[in-house]
Parts: sequence; structure tokens; C-alpha cells
Amino acid sequence: MKEGGQSMSVYKHNYRAYTGRVTPLWTRILVLARYGLAEVWSSKISIGLFTVSLAPFLVFLVGIYLANNPIARFLITKGNSPGFAINAAFFLKMLEVQSWFALVLASWVAPRLITFDLADNALPILLSHPISRLGYVFGKFIALFAALSVVTWIPSLMLFAYQSYSSPQPWAFANFPIAAGLLAGAMIWIVFLSILGLALSSWVKWRVVATGIIFAAVFVPAGVGGIVSAILRTKWGLILNVPVMMTELWCRLLGAPDPMRPGQAIPTAAIAAMLAAACFICMAMLNKRIRAREVVRG
Amino acid sequence: MGIIDLVGLEVRLGGRTVLDGLTGELQGQAIGLLGPNGAGKSTLINTLLGFHLPSKGTASVFGLDTQRDRARIREGIGYMPENDSFIGNMSGVRFVRYMAELAGLPAGEALERAHEALFYVGLGEVRYRQVSTYSLGMKQLVKLAQALAHGPRLLILDEPTNGLDPMARQRMIQAIKEIRKEGSIRLLISSHLLRDIDETCDEVLILKNGRIAALCNIEEERRSNKNFMELETVGATEKFSVSIRGRGCECACFPGGRIKLVMPEDMEARDLYVIASEHGVQIRRMNLRRDSLEDIFLRAMENEGGRPEHVSL
Amino acid sequence: MNDRIIFEDVSKFYGEVLGVNRISLSIPPGITTLVGPNGSGKTTLMNLMTGLVRPSSGHISVLGLTPADANEFFSAVGYCTQFDSFPRGLTGWQFVYDGLMLHGMNEIDAFGLTRESLERVQLGDAAGRAIASYSKGMRQKICLAQAIAHHPRVLVLDEPLNGLDPMARAESLALFQDLGRQGMHLVISSHILDEVDRISDRVVLITGGYLIAEGNIHQVRQEVRDKPMQVLVRCDHPELLASRMFAVNHCAEARMHADGRGVFLRTGDIDQFYSLLNGIAVEGLIKIETVAPADDDANAIYQYLIGSDGSAS
Repeated sequence: MKEGGQSMSVYKHNYRAYTGRVTPLWTRILVLARYGLAEVWSSKISIGLFTVSLAPFLVFLVGIYLANNPIARFLITKGNSPGFAINAAFFLKMLEVQSWFALVLASWVAPRLITFDLADNALPILLSHPISRLGYVFGKFIALFAALSVVTWIPSLMLFAYQSYSSPQPWAFANFPIAAGLLAGAMIWIVFLSILGLALSSWVKWRVVATGIIFAAVFVPAGVGGIVSAILRTKWGLILNVPVMMTELWCRLLGAPDPMRPGQAIPTAAIAAMLAAACFICMAMLNKRIRAREVVRG
Repeated sequence: MGIIDLVGLEVRLGGRTVLDGLTGELQGQAIGLLGPNGAGKSTLINTLLGFHLPSKGTASVFGLDTQRDRARIREGIGYMPENDSFIGNMSGVRFVRYMAELAGLPAGEALERAHEALFYVGLGEVRYRQVSTYSLGMKQLVKLAQALAHGPRLLILDEPTNGLDPMARQRMIQAIKEIRKEGSIRLLISSHLLRDIDETCDEVLILKNGRIAALCNIEEERRSNKNFMELETVGATEKFSVSIRGRGCECACFPGGRIKLVMPEDMEARDLYVIASEHGVQIRRMNLRRDSLEDIFLRAMENEGGRPEHVSL
Repeated sequence: MNDRIIFEDVSKFYGEVLGVNRISLSIPPGITTLVGPNGSGKTTLMNLMTGLVRPSSGHISVLGLTPADANEFFSAVGYCTQFDSFPRGLTGWQFVYDGLMLHGMNEIDAFGLTRESLERVQLGDAAGRAIASYSKGMRQKICLAQAIAHHPRVLVLDEPLNGLDPMARAESLALFQDLGRQGMHLVISSHILDEVDRISDRVVLITGGYLIAEGNIHQVRQEVRDKPMQVLVRCDHPELLASRMFAVNHCAEARMHADGRGVFLRTGDIDQFYSLLNGIAVEGLIKIETVAPADDDANAIYQYLIGSDGSAS
């Protein structure tokens, strides 16, 4: 600090007020997302899981290559394997496999996003900043959504593009609904997974338990649904079976042949309603747990 | 207009009315918030931060309504909660930087100011360590650092010296005094320790049962208590006190030779010494009574029945 | 002696970690305050005193009893820890009552004693509610209630005023003074040194697991010889007062107060100093406003002996 005409040699470092630029309010949510993603990538296991999720991508990539290059196919299989077409069923298979990986990734990543904040009661300080509870959840959601996108619809669409490129006939235009179906189907799944993962992580204190519970939340209702179906002799128990229901949904979005018997099919509206109800319950859980203060009763 | 304005503020929680019609204007540079447990201090702080919505009336900070302009108010507030509150697996720098960015600082400035804030509160040496490895005193200081980093206009401190050992407590009080002296930040300090509030605040708000029991300026009160004195004597204290009563003082004796007295207008300190030497009494301490805050607090609590008479703070 | 708490060369190690090292104490009846930084060994000392841990070496006897005579030992001792956790699902009443039953009392006696101790801490009406719904101050009180319910002769309290509002602090302090007068041994640990000054007869300073000082506060102060006693005198001619003091050679050091209206005087002989001061005041040439021992209290002892980094200086 210089005074008048003299220059001082001793600098005092006291508190100084901030007079610089302030970022716009809506970018705060992105700050949350950015730090959330940094947290995700800091874990070696996360990186490992991401890497492993690339494996099916490569397998399917090779499949597309072989399908479009009969010479290569002949060389490799020596004429023993039947040809196979790259069609909706192919992409359905791919979406299914990737969605399993998405589940594994979500159950590892989601607790990392939420539990560290709740473990040491950081919420009062976090929420005392210009970020609402909804903003907080949305920021974490964006981080999780981005992470899951990298293993679902992004590689899927890349494969679709590759197929369009390497196919000898004009393929893309005719099969455009497949691309749309891929995008929509993957998004529905990862939105559902994200909300589920965040809600269950906020409910439980330990990360490992949260990971287990997210898995359980997908499989246990399936088992319950199976029991219900068997006892009540109805097809409706199947609606609790999320993996099967998602496959159904994807079939219809991609235009692939329906693996289920005609009489057993559950209408799309019912599936949508089930997913919406689950999300609603999850939002209620988040509403309960993401609070700056607990209300003291009595 | 004060920094905090309350107009008929009512807040209901879990079916109970916790804050019942608070009205007042808080203007001091440093405002102390006092009151018994359950009086509504935490609820008031939470309402100012926008965590609770008023059921009636309004509360405003910097002239902004806590209901409508929550985000803008929070941008200008630094909050140091009472309990442990941190993100364990982050380093000190990263935590403070994160909070500063959430408060609106661009990333580069946030990092700069995070380092500055940590040095300022005295955590310079440990700022790269994870917050979960910090001691209790350090965790308190890191809460202060994150509250300061973005340059708030109002600093809300909830029990800032909670659990600190005497040296750490002194450092915290010293830091608070320096912040107050710097002048650009107003302070709202909630504490159970009257001594802390006395040393740092110039205005005090006392809550009881969700209502304002007192709102006054300590500085002015102290200035008007000129003839109240407190003595510590060795020797024939009884005779001494009889004599000074004879000269027109009102006085009360306490064990250990302590005497609290009010001198009449015409008397001064020298007269006390004269009387003391007459009785062979040594005066070992002579203070103008500092406990005006204690007086204020006791008076504010007076309406409550059943408080034992012999309680002296 | 059967009226003292005696530590003979006691050490406690937790594996490699030092709890306390070679502590020898003899605590008489009355209020003894335990003072020291966080992590200094206070809690270890209290756990040793109440029989919760056994020393690695050395011998402890509390009023002639050791934990070997389990029944008598534990019914003579009451302990209130600093940790804020209670058995789940119990009400305040149940907590105290169950504790009494554990001492082997019959139901009628236990009932009466429970009611008495709850009344003593002024928790009568909240006793029927679950402890989980209590505020911090109330939890502190219920802990105290269970510690005194069985009328122990030794009461060990770890930070008993933590979280209490000013009125409750004053009430608790009054209760402690009451119990001390009845001949109980109270060992209280606290960080709030001016409260320590107000109530305790003796102080025990501990840091890093080592005993630094023990005894009456004034005695301890006088024994810190490398820092003679310091008194702040505010008057209208401080330089004149200083020169008068130097002239009679009772003053080792004089330092002017920053505002020019007072002087800090260090003296080796405090008694002579006061007599002289009283004499000067009677003369009337110098008008004395206030006299305050600047360091005859627990705060000063803490600073001189323990210092700002928590290590023994």
C-alpha cells in the first residue's frame, strides 16, 4: 500500500472487501455440477467403471464393421456364421447392455455426490449461499446425468452414425426412428436412475450401503412383482419389474419386435405412470432430507 | 433504515409459534443476539437466511425482503453455524473456494480470496489438509474463513467460541474485533457468553419466548453508568461498608471482600480511600462497573417467575 | 487422608498415545477447576478419577476408596461427561431413575431421590419427555441431575456449562457453590476462565498430559516469579504515579497504557504496593479512577504457564 509520495516497505495483509465481478445467479448451479463431476472423477473406481463400460461399445463397433464388410466376415468366421443385420433389435441389445452399466455407475457415483455433503452437516452452509434446495438437487442431477450420458446415448448415437457411414445402402434416413428411440429411451432411463440414485443416497448415511440400496431398489421390486404375478395370476405384477419394463419401452421406441407374448404386454401408459410414480416418491424423499435445518417436534 | 428490519414478524414451526410479532430496527455495527434456550434465536437467524418463511409480517436484510429476495440476501451474507458443518474430504482451500464460487465469485478470484481468508483467520499452515483432520478450533476457524471469503456485507456468527479453549477463544474474539474495525462488514453474533457479546458488540437484541425482551445500545448504557463502582478489599470490610453507607452510598457486600456500590453525586474515589485508611482497609481493586450488559439481561428476564434471588451473573 | 482425592505418580497411556504422565495431586473438599487446552488430558484425568479407566502406573484413591471396592466407590462418585449422548428412547425421569436403581436402591427411595434431583436442576416439568427432544441446555441439566441424584461425595463435571444460556449458567454456578459449601469435592473442567475465577477455590492446570500447576489461584499466581504481579491503575497523572512508585523502589516495571490515562505497574511485593497506593490516593495529588490487578486471575495464569500454542512455556 503506498501513501502519499512515499513508498512503504512493509505490507500489511488485512481483510479487504471484495469489489470485483459477481457471476450471474443461474451459473451457481453449474458450480455445483462442476464440483460434483470433479468429485466423481477423483475416484479411481469411477474411472475404472467408465473404462469397463467402454468394452461393450467396442464389441458392438466390431459387430457393425463385420456386418457391413462381408469379406472381413468371411475371413474371420470362415463362412460358418450366418449374416446378421444391423437393425432395431441390434440397437436394442446394445441399449440394454449399456443400461446395465449405467446402473452400476449410478449406484457408485450417486452416493459420492450426496453423502459427503450430508455426512458432516454441510447443508446449512451450502444452502446459506444463493442456491435453493431445488437448485442444489438440480446441480447434482446435472453432474450425474452428464456422467451417465457418457455411457449410454452418446456412444449409442456414435454407433448409429458409424453404421450410417459404413453401410453400403442409404441407411440413416430410413432408420431415423431408431436414433430418436435411442435418444429418448436412454434419456428416460438415466433421468430415472439419476433421481433414484440421488434420493436413495440422501436417505442413507454410508456410501456402501447406498450403493447396495440402489441396486436393491431395481431388483427387489422385480422379485415382489414376480410373486404378486404368481399368486394373483395376473400379468400386472410385471409392472414392478423395472428392467423388463424398460426393455418393453425401448422396444416400442425403437420399433423392435416385442419379446413378450401379446396377451402379456403392459400398455405404455402404465409403464410411464410407474416411472412417474417412482420419481415422485424419490422427489418426496429428497424434499425431506435436503434441508438446512430439521424441524424440532414438540 | 437499519441493516435488519423486522415488522411484526411471526414464524410458525411444527405447529408452534416460535417467533411472535417481532418488530425492531437493528442498526449497530455489531449486534449481539441473546436469550434463553428456546427463545427463538436460531429461528430468527434461519428466517433471515431464508430457511423459514414468515407466516405473518416481514423481515428484511439490507432493505431486501427475506421472502422475495432470498438469493440476493444470501449473496451478501456470510454464515457461521453453531454445529460442525463442513465437507470432510475436501482440503481447506478447496472447501472455502467452493463456497466462494457459490457465493458468486469467478473461479480465479475465488481461489485467491480463499487463500487470503484462510491466512487471515490463522489457518495458513493447514490449508492443504483435509478438513476432516482439523481440530475443533480449526473447524470453527474454517467456518469463519468460508463466511468471509466472498466479502459479505453481513456476517452471522452462531456461538463462534463454542468449545474453544481459552487461547483459541481469545484469537476468535480478536479476529471478530478486527473485522468489526475494518468497517465494511456488519456483524450479528449469537452467544450464551455475555462476556463475548460485551467485548465485541455495540447493540444487543434479547429474545424471550419468541418476543423481543430488550433492544438497546450497550455503548450508551455504559456511558450513563458513571457512579457505579465495584471494589475488592482486604481488611475490616464490614466497618468500611458501614462507614460508606453513612456517607450516602448504597452498597452491597459479597464474599471475598467484594463490594458493589453507587456513590452519591458529591463523593469521589479519593473519599473511599480516606475512609479505607481510617479503618486500615486496603482497596485492591476498583472498577467502574462493567456489568451493564448483565443488568440489561437480568432486567429483560425479570418477568419470568421463579428465578432465585441470589443469582448474580 | 480420607477426605482427599489422591493421585500418586499416575500415568495413563493408550498404546503409544499419552493420556497423562506422572501426575500427583491431592484435592481437598470444595470446588477445584481443571483448566487446559483441548487434548491436554483433562478427560483422561476425569476418567481416572471416576474409575472408568485404570492407570498404566501409579495409584489413585478417592476419599480412601479405589475402584476395587466397586459398590462404595461408584456410589461416592458422580460423573457428568462432555459427550452429548444418551440411551435412546428414555425420558428424563427414566434416565435418572434407572441410574438410581443401578445403585441398588429400592423403588421408593429411588422415586424420591429422582424427584429431588430433578427439582434441584429445575427440570421438573420436562422430565416426562424423551431426552431426544430436549434442547442442549436441558440435556446438560439432565446429565447433572443423574450425577447428583445418588448424593455422591465427589462430583466430576466435564464442561457442565456448555450450551447453557446466561441465566442457567448463573443458576448452575450457584448450585455448584452450594454443593461445595456442603463439603463435597467438585472437580469441574471449563474453558471459560472468568467463571472459573468466580467460583473455584483451587485450580489445576494441565497441558500435553503434564501437570503444570495446582493450588489456590492467587498462590499459583504469586509463585510464577519470573512474571511479577501487574496492576493497571487509571488516574489523571500516570507518569507521576509511576515515578512515585519507582522512588520507593517497589516497582520493577512501569508501562503506560495506550490511551495515556493509565499505567501498568509490575511489583514484586503486592502487599506493600497496595498500602503505598492507598496512601498516595489519600494524599489527593493524584486522582485515582480505577485499580485493577491485570493478571491475578486464571486467564493470566493460563497465558503465562500454557501460552498460546498449548505447550508448557
